Amino acid sequence: MSTATSPERLRFQGVCKSYGAVRALADFSLTLRPGEIHALCGHNGAGKSTVVKILAGLVRPDEGQIEIDGAEALARSPQQAQRLGVALVDQEISLIDVLSVADNLMLGSADQPFLNRRRAARSRARDLLRRVGLDSLDPARPVSSLAMGERQLVEIARALGHDAGILILDEPTATLSEAEIGHVFDAVRSVSADGTAVLFVSHRLGEVMELCHSVTVLRDGQLVRTAQTTELDRAELIQLMLGHEPERALRREPPAEEGRGSVTIRGLAIPPRVPGLDLDVRPGEIVALAGQVGCGATDVIRALAGHSSRASGEVRVDGRRLRLGSPGVARAAGLAFLSNDRKSEGLFLGRSVGDNLVATRLKEMSSGGLVLERRVEPVAGRLAASIGLEERRRSAVSELSGGNQQKVFLGRLLEQPGTRLLLLDEPTRGVDVGGRADIHDLVRSAADAGVGVLFASTELDEIFDLADTIVTMFSGRVVAVARRTETSTHRVVSEMTHAPNDREAVA
Amino acid sequence: MSAALKRLRSLSPEVLSPVLFLLAMIGFFLIVPTSQGHPIGSYSIYSVLQTFGTYGLVALALGLTMIAGEFDLSTLGMFALGGMLAVKLGESSAALGIVLVVAIGALAGLIQGALIAFLRLNSMAVTLGGYITMIGLTGTLGHDKSVSYLNVDTAIKLDEPIAEIFSRHSLIVLAAFVLVALLMGFTRLGRAVRAVGGDRKTSRTVGVRVNLVLIGVFTLSGMLAGLAGGLNAYSLATAVTNPGVAPLVFAATAALIGGVTVAGGQGTAAGIAAGALAMSLLQASFGILASPIWVTEIVTGLLLVVAVLLTAPLIRDRIANARQAYESLRARRTAGGID
Repeated sequence: MSTATSPERLRFQGVCKSYGAVRALADFSLTLRPGEIHALCGHNGAGKSTVVKILAGLVRPDEGQIEIDGAEALARSPQQAQRLGVALVDQEISLIDVLSVADNLMLGSADQPFLNRRRAARSRARDLLRRVGLDSLDPARPVSSLAMGERQLVEIARALGHDAGILILDEPTATLSEAEIGHVFDAVRSVSADGTAVLFVSHRLGEVMELCHSVTVLRDGQLVRTAQTTELDRAELIQLMLGHEPERALRREPPAEEGRGSVTIRGLAIPPRVPGLDLDVRPGEIVALAGQVGCGATDVIRALAGHSSRASGEVRVDGRRLRLGSPGVARAAGLAFLSNDRKSEGLFLGRSVGDNLVATRLKEMSSGGLVLERRVEPVAGRLAASIGLEERRRSAVSELSGGNQQKVFLGRLLEQPGTRLLLLDEPTRGVDVGGRADIHDLVRSAADAGVGVLFASTELDEIFDLADTIVTMFSGRVVAVARRTETSTHRVVSEMTHAPNDREAVA
Repeated sequence: MSAALKRLRSLSPEVLSPVLFLLAMIGFFLIVPTSQGHPIGSYSIYSVLQTFGTYGLVALALGLTMIAGEFDLSTLGMFALGGMLAVKLGESSAALGIVLVVAIGALAGLIQGALIAFLRLNSMAVTLGGYITMIGLTGTLGHDKSVSYLNVDTAIKLDEPIAEIFSRHSLIVLAAFVLVALLMGFTRLGRAVRAVGGDRKTSRTVGVRVNLVLIGVFTLSGMLAGLAGGLNAYSLATAVTNPGVAPLVFAATAALIGGVTVAGGQGTAAGIAAGALAMSLLQASFGILASPIWVTEIVTGLLLVVAVLLTAPLIRDRIANARQAYESLRARRTAGGID
């Protein structure tokens, strides 16, 4: 383990980064020593990913100094970061499905030989796989045939293979089982003992306390505190991440507890992440699926919207059984879906706001196969007014801010006859504070009109601002279901960041 | 035997497809013409390999860009331009003509590849422009007429039978396939090409030089298409101004039945060779039977549909699900039996 006197492996000094008007990182400083396992904690939008991206050569800071082993070291590309001795295990698995495990382990490595000696590559692959507990995995297997946990371990094995001086692990355990997490911890401790400095980015505070020597907490792009993990307990760490517990006024009267759900879900299984889920959403109720990235909430939303061919289970809308696996069937049954990626799965960026708003209801504005402009105009105008964009009705959506784009996407789903449930996946991702409030108002007004809402979110503020009922998920399973008024941010953070079996220890 | 069966079952459709199609076409070639009173001799095999020699490299050029997740329509243009340039530039020395044509093909591929990689342009659009320009240049060079190659000795030597079934033409093409197969199978370039085709964003993240790979693939594609055009013109002792779409149809079908997927990331030079050979066998069989051209076209179209169906994600998902369910059922039964 590191000592305060050992030389610094990495030094961030006064690093700043903004994306447009949004300040992602302000005057951030961090020191890592050889052999140290250092956690980086903070809620979504705290700036953790920006630190990781700067270090991995994926973005450049606006200001500040970065040193590796005492020399200035600003990576301008992932290859350069690798040459500087930085290896990254990204939260989004970066393996190529069509290649074999051995090929993936060699991919992008700065020191890979020109000739691909398969026997040598497989032997090296076996060594690396053994270090993460995958002794029996055949290196010739295609990555596409691996389970999610195995993929994550292969990704970690690849980073270990780079013999890096600095290893970044960005949410490495989000998809792993307890046994797999044990292998990862063993591997991390082993590279740390060899002198590698490890930056461990995680929402899982139990793991942070168990594995890491020290921790830095970020909030809103600012450094809150750096401390040894022995100086803190989980509750203090949560407090540092949250700041103060915000006072929240009840913005709307949630629907009464009684009455059957307009949407009932029983045994919804979505391989490989969600083994089985039961849930009810009543008319006018707003239900949050709260959890970290990879907890399964997004999978549930997408499966209900018909975007998973492998989903099974019983879903009833107003008593009628829904056939899963078809977006068209889901829409016809009254389920309206808002993807978390508005650009590739939501908007026609080059078309106007009005065109986008009416895109899914052209049938009711057509006669004999022709779209009648006189029918389009009033509907487009009314919808644009309802989302506060009447004056920009003829602007191309690509010209709007992220928040306004999201309003257009949501606006399209509103006031559709027959809608029973809005399925919203991260409804305010990449949206500023003002836009977020407007979007929340739109969702609330839809619920007030009697439409059920089920949304997935990783953001605590959003969950508590919007939800009547909070369903916390962890590793594909429901951990707790509670009325918003009967739970607290502390409790939800605990549920989101700990496995069910150690919940009692935290609560 | 059961181990071999198990291995065969575990093969992906991308590997199974070329094997199955090639076996099917060999069977067709050996049985159908003979049953109709046209026995197969060494000349029949020679003509199969000549067809392979004519269009095989176009299939390889196109297939390589498809593995990288792109589509090079200009292979057809380069095939035509390569023929015309080889005839014009190689009158004194056929070898010099081929070297120049390959170099010009490389340059054309490099320019297109650079545009696609650095400006992130769609390859279909860029190479459609390339194709039209090259066909235009070919017409201009030939004054809109076919041009004869006067060095007839070269033509004769190129197609002279060797060991009854080969010719210099088909051997050069086979050698080019072997070289590309070695490059793709035994160097880091092959891995990088499949990575770029399989997932470009991830490839960038993990440090693959995506732009260099794309430029390299288009350069190689230009070289191979130019070589194919040059050899074909020498074989026929004529360069035509517009070869029609037959070489492209052959190339795309051969690549797809050879296990290359439109989505990219999958396929091998050996698979493309198998696909090109299967297509050559099909064409030779119908040639021997003197079938009308539309019969060949219908069968080729159907083959293409079957090949694409084999790699359809939904069908693959369903097959994988069914296989998983079957294996877990078997495992449960085995466990029950042991208990």
